[in-house]
Amino acid sequence: MRNVIESVIRMSSFTGKELREVLRRPGVLASLVFGPFLIMFIFGLGYSGYRAPFATEIVVPENSDLPREPDYYGDLAPGRLDVRDVTSDADAAEQRLRDGAIDLLIVAPENASTELRSGHQTTIRVAWNQIDPVYDQLAGLATSILVSSLNAEIVETAAAEGIAFAEGELGPAADVPPEVIARPTKAETENVAPTEPNVISFFGPAVFALVLQHLAITLTALSMVRERLSGQMDRFRVAPVTSMELLVGKYVAYAVLSLAVAAIVGVLLVGVLGVPLLGGWLPFVGIVLLLTFASLGVGLLISLVADSERQAVQLSMLVLLASVFFSGFVLPVSDFATWTQYLAYALPVTHGIGLLQEHMLRGEVRETWMLAALAGIGLVLYVGSLMRLRRVLRRAD
Amino acid sequence: MRFATRIACARWSAAARQAEQALVRLAGTPLALGWRVTAQTPVRATPAGEPIIAASGLSRAFDDRIAVDDLTFEVQPGTILGVVGPSGSGKTTTIRMLTGTLGRTSGEINVLGEDPMHFRRRTRRRIAYMPQLFSLYEDLSAQENVGFVAALYGIGPFRRRRLIRRALEVVDLWDARHKLARDLSGGMQRRLELACALVHGPEVLFVDEPTAGIDPLLRQSIWDELRRLRDEGRTLVVTTQYVAEAEYCDQVALIVDGALVAHDTPEALRQMVFGGDVLEINTARAVDPEMLASVAGVESVRQTAPRQLMATVADAATLTTTIIDTLRSAGVDVVGIEEHQPTFDEVFTGLVEQRRAASDNGGDRSQPRSVTADA
Repeated sequence: MRNVIESVIRMSSFTGKELREVLRRPGVLASLVFGPFLIMFIFGLGYSGYRAPFATEIVVPENSDLPREPDYYGDLAPGRLDVRDVTSDADAAEQRLRDGAIDLLIVAPENASTELRSGHQTTIRVAWNQIDPVYDQLAGLATSILVSSLNAEIVETAAAEGIAFAEGELGPAADVPPEVIARPTKAETENVAPTEPNVISFFGPAVFALVLQHLAITLTALSMVRERLSGQMDRFRVAPVTSMELLVGKYVAYAVLSLAVAAIVGVLLVGVLGVPLLGGWLPFVGIVLLLTFASLGVGLLISLVADSERQAVQLSMLVLLASVFFSGFVLPVSDFATWTQYLAYALPVTHGIGLLQEHMLRGEVRETWMLAALAGIGLVLYVGSLMRLRRVLRRAD
Repeated sequence: MRFATRIACARWSAAARQAEQALVRLAGTPLALGWRVTAQTPVRATPAGEPIIAASGLSRAFDDRIAVDDLTFEVQPGTILGVVGPSGSGKTTTIRMLTGTLGRTSGEINVLGEDPMHFRRRTRRRIAYMPQLFSLYEDLSAQENVGFVAALYGIGPFRRRRLIRRALEVVDLWDARHKLARDLSGGMQRRLELACALVHGPEVLFVDEPTAGIDPLLRQSIWDELRRLRDEGRTLVVTTQYVAEAEYCDQVALIVDGALVAHDTPEALRQMVFGGDVLEINTARAVDPEMLASVAGVESVRQTAPRQLMATVADAATLTTTIIDTLRSAGVDVVGIEEHQPTFDEVFTGLVEQRRAASDNGGDRSQPRSVTADA
């Protein structure tokens, strides 16, 4: 009994020490908690979601009978093209594209009407000057919409001509308007998700998961590496302390800290930024605890392999960078090759983001295996850290 | 009679100190003669004559570099063993092996009846280690740091409060208990480390360089503290690079290049180097040193100034009068005569030179100079 009580005292000494150390530097804690929230808040206020249409010039050859009104072309891809000018000087327009004065250049074929009437497909040249892969894809999309609309216009004109001809020769034709022939179907869209997609709502839980993971990793890694390098480990080796007591004490401290941070950031997300929490607070706390448990393991692993505080910080930043790229924070995990997805799922935050987004925005966790994955990652890292720490505490070689 | 009085006083003081130490050991209980009592746990009696720490053939190599080479020594309970040597001589490696925080390449160690690599929990409660570098938490207050270490030893919050106060009072840090460790001066941080090592009332303390980088006044106060702990019956192994601090120890192990050069009491080491007591004789006029060389009991005489002689004698107390009489009978007035206490720097230099000479003459380098280890 005495041993159990002493063990609890030792564990609580680590918990108390860790909490005191963190609370003694409120600035660090505040920047970790409020920093990301502030960034999200500014992002939410400043981000409109509006993408400016491409500044476009149309080159229509002199002898072409194609329209020369900019609005005509603008209407073919509404919201995508801002047609600045319709010109016949292809070289000058090309130069403006290379100079960055315009985003998109559309060159109409020389003899579109003749080619068409003679049964040949004509080619519209579309050029852009983009290094941003997102804008590169958007320009391609705008081009597809433009070509589809143009084709529909041509089909509509041909249909109108055909109907007039048929009525003259054969009497009344079927009552099908040419625009229906050109565009026989149209889509009506509906998103059945329980919440309206919104940038803040979608990224809020992701930022939250990232903050929690980063907080747990950084604090644990630095705390343990400092103890290793300062010679404090020698004190632990001499004292009747076990690696289990040390680890549990630290885990409890950071679990308490993470819950406090989660409560503050959660309230700010839901209360101030209006991110929905459809799934309730209790499962939310559970996910937070699992994410913290797994993240602490990563931090401990870093602290046991890092040779200096600088290396611990560098490794923590690398995990953060990997998390931003692979966790589904920016790009969906499914977009990656299979082997890369394994790497993504080795990161606690990947599961944290998936679970929190589903829980908060859908009100249910469909990917329940992610809960088991988080617990598994945490357990494996805990056991690994425990074994490594046991060796470290046994003696310095 | 001025010089005779000084000699008498010095001798009385040394004898009193030795008697007091002997009493402490004989009684086997803490003896606090007017000092503050800080023992939190009773110091267990060790069978008479049994060393509390014993190392035999202790060696440690880092890759192909030998840091500690074949050390053999024992530490009796209730004494201070000073491990003295220059920086990088292997002191910290030795003390870390003794605490079990560093493995050894070869040799045997026994501390409190156990091998430090396999200390049981209850044995760990009886020892303490004060590392060389400040390793406490800068963001915690002095009180919180001591409390943390006390909790590592399983001391509950109520008892802890009392022990923290005692430990901080011992090192005169109670008034600074709320100060963060990072705001304490270097000396205060060392004292805080000492308070942390003391808080659970250990029987054996391993103290690594407690006075490194500290001003002389504070060094003195730290040694006062260590000696007071010794007087309570605790056993201390203290490393220091300040050779003069060997004076404060009961036993001194002088380590150079990882090897034990000498191991004995400070007084015995002095005698070992100089071959006896040294008398400083000041005369009214210049004297030929040969005049005293023939006096029985005088080992050697050398002239250190025109009217000053240094005589190495078997026993200063008995030969002082003889020397004065010899000089007076030769018509030389003695202005002053007193026992010269060679500094430990001189002793250290002498021992290292003797070792080198022995080594040059093909002597056994591994055998330390030693007389019977009796503090």
